[in-house]
Amino acid sequence: MSAPATRAQPAGPHQPTLLASCALATTAAEASYRISYPEFARRSSRVIALGAESERSVRAMGGRLWGGGHFLVFESAVPGDALLRYAGAGGTALLSEELADADTVVMVASAGANPEAASVIGDAAAARGIMSAGLVLPVPPGSGGSVNELVSALRPNAMVLVVLRDAADVPEVLSALRV
Amino acid sequence: MLKQEINDLLTQTGPGTPMGDLFRQYWTPALLAEELPEDDCPPVRVKLLSERLIAFRDTEGRYGLMDEFCAHRGVSLWFGRNEESGLRCSYHGWKYDVNGQCVEIPSEPDERHSSLCAKIKLKSYPLVKIGDVLWTYMGDPKTTPDLPQWEFARVPAEHSYTSKRWQECNWLQALEGGIDSSHVSWLHSDGLRDDPLFRGAQGNKYNLTDRKPFFEVVESDGGLFIGVRRNAEDGHFYWRITPWVMPSFTMIPPRGDHPIHGHFWIPIDDENCWVFTYDYHPVRPLSAAEVQAMQDGKGVHNEFVPGTYRPLQNKDNDYMMDRAAQKRGDTYSGVKGISMQDASLQESMGPIVDRTKERLVSTDSGIIMARRKLWRAVEALRDDGVTPPGVDVTHQAVRSAAVVLPKDQSFAEACAEALRVRPGEKHASV
Repeated sequence: MSAPATRAQPAGPHQPTLLASCALATTAAEASYRISYPEFARRSSRVIALGAESERSVRAMGGRLWGGGHFLVFESAVPGDALLRYAGAGGTALLSEELADADTVVMVASAGANPEAASVIGDAAAARGIMSAGLVLPVPPGSGGSVNELVSALRPNAMVLVVLRDAADVPEVLSALRV
Repeated sequence: MLKQEINDLLTQTGPGTPMGDLFRQYWTPALLAEELPEDDCPPVRVKLLSERLIAFRDTEGRYGLMDEFCAHRGVSLWFGRNEESGLRCSYHGWKYDVNGQCVEIPSEPDERHSSLCAKIKLKSYPLVKIGDVLWTYMGDPKTTPDLPQWEFARVPAEHSYTSKRWQECNWLQALEGGIDSSHVSWLHSDGLRDDPLFRGAQGNKYNLTDRKPFFEVVESDGGLFIGVRRNAEDGHFYWRITPWVMPSFTMIPPRGDHPIHGHFWIPIDDENCWVFTYDYHPVRPLSAAEVQAMQDGKGVHNEFVPGTYRPLQNKDNDYMMDRAAQKRGDTYSGVKGISMQDASLQESMGPIVDRTKERLVSTDSGIIMARRKLWRAVEALRDDGVTPPGVDVTHQAVRSAAVVLPKDQSFAEACAEALRVRPGEKHASV
């Protein structure tokens, strides 16, 4: 689009100049000039299963291609820290090590989740100013416990909680967050 | 972030598109009843889901919604004469009833007339008045669902007020603003202090003093409940719970005894939508002052270009941006009014925002889950013919709520009753 031939008058409160106006700037053609960031910094997320049932979901996701995400399983609390295991790949790490360069922690809970794990991870994330989120998966019938118990355990320790009816949604939720 | 093909899937609602097929499963707000105020009144052009239609009210008070263009030469029936139980094309006098059936072709010989008319029928959809809204169903007539039961449209007329405005962007980015509870403490912070339809509520102080809320998203039969909690008095949280019912109904949590309000986000085409905005009180008539405030564009309503449904503040006047008010802190963005604060930013994204470029964070979980549920429902309908959530009228019996709960209580459990319609009972509000 060519510029107007005459110089624009100084704009008053309701007199936008054409090239800076919302009317032009909101067109589809102008949207195509948005700057792309193909190398935008990757998010450094830690996805941590809190028990055996949720480990299955996390382990399955570990086989997919992700950005900078690490997929882990909570093993046990240790003095001032916690021991984590890499889902699928094997090996262990301390929670403090994993959080050193993390910007988001996602806790995944289902039947058999360790309530202490949510507290340990949530406290560690809060102390470091790291965003904490919790995904609560369906509890299979007869497995003991309930979704409400999981929500209660996670609520004080996660800034965002999502209660899912289908564990198959977990990868899509994490993908949307660019884990 | 969404892949481009999923963004296309969710944003395109024209005939034959998967998302368009999903929208065509529901009774949809088509226009306000005030647009067809009397029998034989002028017809109204309506574009919905990328279909050009004409709405009219015939001599017997029956409503019709049909193809805008005459079957003869493609002339717009907006120029037509609404008379004697039908809409007559101004060009050659062809006449159609509210079902789109051609009933007169004046130029044809009498002996051929009825047989030729019988063969000519414009595409038409039912149009039904419930509350202040005319609703249509654009899907397969064989699977017409029960009529809508939304509480705002079913309470006595004096309890409810509905407006509509044109928003110049895709329906989905407009809807997403309705379920994005994290922006309220920023973009709309002025409204909590000053707006006559919000001010004075006890809950406002929690909003204004705790600007780092926590979020809880719970799936419901019809969509989602999005709970936002802030610190309240010792040992308690202040919860604001927003229901979203598929595909595009949202309800804002109430404040004090003010009416409850919310929106329907309806695609006009892929780059424009209607925002139907309702306000109602379950147990009392709206006061004259409340109705006046709504007509004046307060609360979640807006002012209009006179004689139109286009907002007075729009992209052609830069939404009457007031930088001095922004600097003084009178408004956060410099744009006046809650609805136009939202619309101005949503339209600034472009007609259809490129979601491959966005950087969502955990507090966007409501948006993420809504997209996921829409996507799943589209696939289930397309692949297996599964009726989507929100069609069942029991899914429509929801309310928003604002409550103070002990910290250890789940909103989903504690508010199970409050989040359901209870005829004759007041809404849960702080």
